[in-house]
Amino acid sequence: MSVVTPLYDSLWNEFVLWSALVGAFTFGWLYHHTYNYRSKDGVDDNVDNLEVGVFPAHYDSLKLEVAWTVVPFILIVYLTFIAWAPIDNLWSSSDDGWFGNECVAGESSNLMINADSSFTADCYHILEITGFQWDWDFDCLELDADLCSQGLTTIEGNDKKLLNLKQGEVYLAEMTSEDVIHAPWFVSMGIKEDIMPSQVTKQWLIADEVEDFLLLCTEYCGDNHAYMIAGISVHA
Amino acid sequence: MERRTAMTRSMVVLVFIAIAMVVSPAVNSLPTGIGGDNIQSQGCNCHNTLPSSNVIPSLAGLPEEYNVSTTYTLTISFSGGPAEGGVNSGGFNLWASDGDFSVVDATVQARSPTELTHTEAGNDYRSWTIEWTSPDHGRNVDFILHVNSVNGDGANTGGIDEWNRLDVTVAGSAGAGLEAADAFKVLGTLIMISLVLLTVTILYGFYRTNPDNFTWDYLAPWITGWLTSTDHKRIGTLYFVQGLFFLGVGGIMAMMIRVQLAGPDTGFISQDQYNQFFTLHGTTMIFLAAMPLIAGFANWIVPLQIGAPDLALPRINALSFWLQPFAALLIFTGVFSGEGADTGWTGYAPYVVSAGAHRGVTFWVAGQIMLVASSTLTGINFLTTIAVMRAKGMGWMQMPLFTWSILVANVMLFLSIPAFGIGLIQVFLDRTISTAFYDMAAGGDPLLWSHLFWYFGHPEVYVVIVPAFGVISEVIATSARRSIFGYRSMVYAMAGIGLLSFIVYGHHMFTSGMSPTLRFVTMLTTMLVAVPTGIKIFNWLKTMHGGSLVYRTHTLWALGFLVTFTLGGISGMYFPAIAMDLHLHETYFVVAHFHYVLVGGTVFGMFAAIYYWYPKMTGRMLDERLGTLHFLIGFISYNGIFWPMHRLGVVGMPRRTHTYFITTDDFTSLPEWAADWNLFISVSAFIFFFSNLILVANMLTSLVRGQKAPADPWGGWSFEWMVSSPPPTPSFDWNNLPELRDANEHIANEPTRMGAWFNRLMVPDQEEEASN
Repeated sequence: MSVVTPLYDSLWNEFVLWSALVGAFTFGWLYHHTYNYRSKDGVDDNVDNLEVGVFPAHYDSLKLEVAWTVVPFILIVYLTFIAWAPIDNLWSSSDDGWFGNECVAGESSNLMINADSSFTADCYHILEITGFQWDWDFDCLELDADLCSQGLTTIEGNDKKLLNLKQGEVYLAEMTSEDVIHAPWFVSMGIKEDIMPSQVTKQWLIADEVEDFLLLCTEYCGDNHAYMIAGISVHA
Repeated sequence: MERRTAMTRSMVVLVFIAIAMVVSPAVNSLPTGIGGDNIQSQGCNCHNTLPSSNVIPSLAGLPEEYNVSTTYTLTISFSGGPAEGGVNSGGFNLWASDGDFSVVDATVQARSPTELTHTEAGNDYRSWTIEWTSPDHGRNVDFILHVNSVNGDGANTGGIDEWNRLDVTVAGSAGAGLEAADAFKVLGTLIMISLVLLTVTILYGFYRTNPDNFTWDYLAPWITGWLTSTDHKRIGTLYFVQGLFFLGVGGIMAMMIRVQLAGPDTGFISQDQYNQFFTLHGTTMIFLAAMPLIAGFANWIVPLQIGAPDLALPRINALSFWLQPFAALLIFTGVFSGEGADTGWTGYAPYVVSAGAHRGVTFWVAGQIMLVASSTLTGINFLTTIAVMRAKGMGWMQMPLFTWSILVANVMLFLSIPAFGIGLIQVFLDRTISTAFYDMAAGGDPLLWSHLFWYFGHPEVYVVIVPAFGVISEVIATSARRSIFGYRSMVYAMAGIGLLSFIVYGHHMFTSGMSPTLRFVTMLTTMLVAVPTGIKIFNWLKTMHGGSLVYRTHTLWALGFLVTFTLGGISGMYFPAIAMDLHLHETYFVVAHFHYVLVGGTVFGMFAAIYYWYPKMTGRMLDERLGTLHFLIGFISYNGIFWPMHRLGVVGMPRRTHTYFITTDDFTSLPEWAADWNLFISVSAFIFFFSNLILVANMLTSLVRGQKAPADPWGGWSFEWMVSSPPPTPSFDWNNLPELRDANEHIANEPTRMGAWFNRLMVPDQEEEASN
């Protein structure tokens, strides 16, 4: 089971690896120089003959400076490259993209995980999400109750909205807000997108694992922002 | 002479009025009953405005004196009302000051652990059964029951629906106990104590001006001297005192936030207050603490470093400063009224102009408009000073790096802050005279604010970090007894960061719904920021090579900066990867990242600057042992606060929320260890907060008892080490300005390419004289 999503995890692991390498290199260097080049007791070595009112002699090396401009640049280009491809998957076109076109009634998405941790599907289902201060509304439109249904649940003693989804299906959420900016965070799906009044933003919901998790609001929206939560239930 | 006395007297009166303005609202107007849903203090809005004695509420099952941690079954009921005997729909709200309610059937729902109300299904009842578990402290508990009795026609025809209220107090073995403190009263009290300490310190400072022959007669002229001074050193000190004071205030607010988050739903501060605390914490730390601290050092050190007797526009400089305390007063005005700004420091539209946002937002916006004015004037002043008042022999490429950093920061600020000013004025007009810049119904655009804000907001965070780069460059080079490695690439890297800062801001809006193409472009540009930042870090490391590193407190803070800033830089690389940012955006991973660069970067840089330049500013050395202690405790506890936040963000803890949810049987959320780490963070936060008092104590005691500082205690090369400690006023003799020599004679006499280009823009001196 992945920590967030397979796609997120693979990117995360790669970034953590490079972070560790860069960190080890930098801190190793820092440790070595701060220890090796510490001043000796009672000796005040004015290495570069610093003198008040005199701009010090240049201490530089074009080769080294170019090196640590070019090498990090290459690493950056590589990291940008590996971070690039997943966006195509996450922000796939809804018109014959990674997830095909909208399913006809009775058709299943047939979700698949590819070797590179991306998702593909034959088709997707459309549902609507509306945010308002401080609750969510789900609308499954014409979908079968097995594919999508909305209901109520109790979270920490409070009545909250619940959205039931089916494992192996892909949904395109068309989202908007009635008042101010909100941002639904589907924590276990590793995605969020702002919703704004009089604008529809879209978000792919990929139900790959059977799990009940919370939908949180992550754009500050006023008094009850922290409790603007809902349940998402993915069933088999 | 007489006129002078009258003037100083009126100045003192003004000061007292100003102090009274700050102090009196804090005493008289501390808030009661904030928030719309506090039924216990605000009362019920149950169909009629006034209660009716026809309705008789009852709460049965409570003992005379409760046993601690015991569960009681309670029955809520009422009699009387408009439909006595007929079909009667009643409702209730039961609030308790402590203990935990639990729901036993579907007729009742919990609004919080201490507040219950009926459900839709329970709306046809006259009696409900619930359970209450008594608290473990044994103090008295208050219950407030509201019931309403309606005739069930769904409309309140003729106003015949009625309600009433019942107050019950159940005794505990421990009696009434102490009243729980209101968070605003705690904050108000702590700010008051800080102000009193500040006043005592200022009066002591006055006493120290002439301890052998003390007389109060000189107080008025002494204070007037400070209030009307245009000397860059005095204004620098004023900025500095303001910055440190608000660093403390912002810190106090951070501590209260951490008490709230020490466990899930601790209830220490209400959600309404919490929202104001994080808003003001951010605004205070950025605009009232970091910026003034930087401005303080810039005021003090830049003229000294470039060999100028003062800034180019000393009166404008005084105006820049004096706008600040009054702006601060405006920003905090809302808090004293009980409705401080609650928008987050980003103040996103349309919430910021909506009716739901607090009234204090208007004051908060007004205060920030004053800060925009202040920063603009500061920008003009420093750009002018650095451009025209450099000592003879100091070309652009012979300027000390701290001066370069202030130049780059002010260029960025000067070019970006107008956008923020425009946005603020739009919000102000929307809120006061109902214009419709951000009114959705009238076709306003909320993304416009996001663009204006972040066009300023991203350069702004570089404005507060770049001066720290300057400080670290000075400290590392001087401590290693070397020239800075790659002076020119340092300058180009800073300028590069300055340029990039304007084309990366879209990464704050990866989830905003703006054009995906634009989001993708800013992903590329944001990744590029790592290159100039990397150059700077590697140059600092290489500077130490072959050097003779002298370990002083400022050296420790600078090395600490290298560690924390590198970590903050690395974590920053996770955000431009959009596929990860969609998960990490607005979580504690972000909170961890920006505190690593803003505290580990800016604040550590400013600490290094304090230890480095304090002897120059006061003529006294700081205590190195206290300094080392401050560094060790501060550095360790600092990492204890912010390092665990990375993990908390990844596992799903959103920022700006009053509570967090731990996984239950029903729903996956944060793992259980998340609560333990939050407690650990809160404890570390208190240690970090108190460790900084060591610095304050060190500064105050050293001012009196510290060793006398020589002109150049650390062996630096720039002009500030040429003048005495503390420097004379004016800092340099107008008739005998210093001249910079250059150890690289062969290039010193040729203008650099950039210098030649800039010189073409300036009117040559001879020409100017000729035209006169």
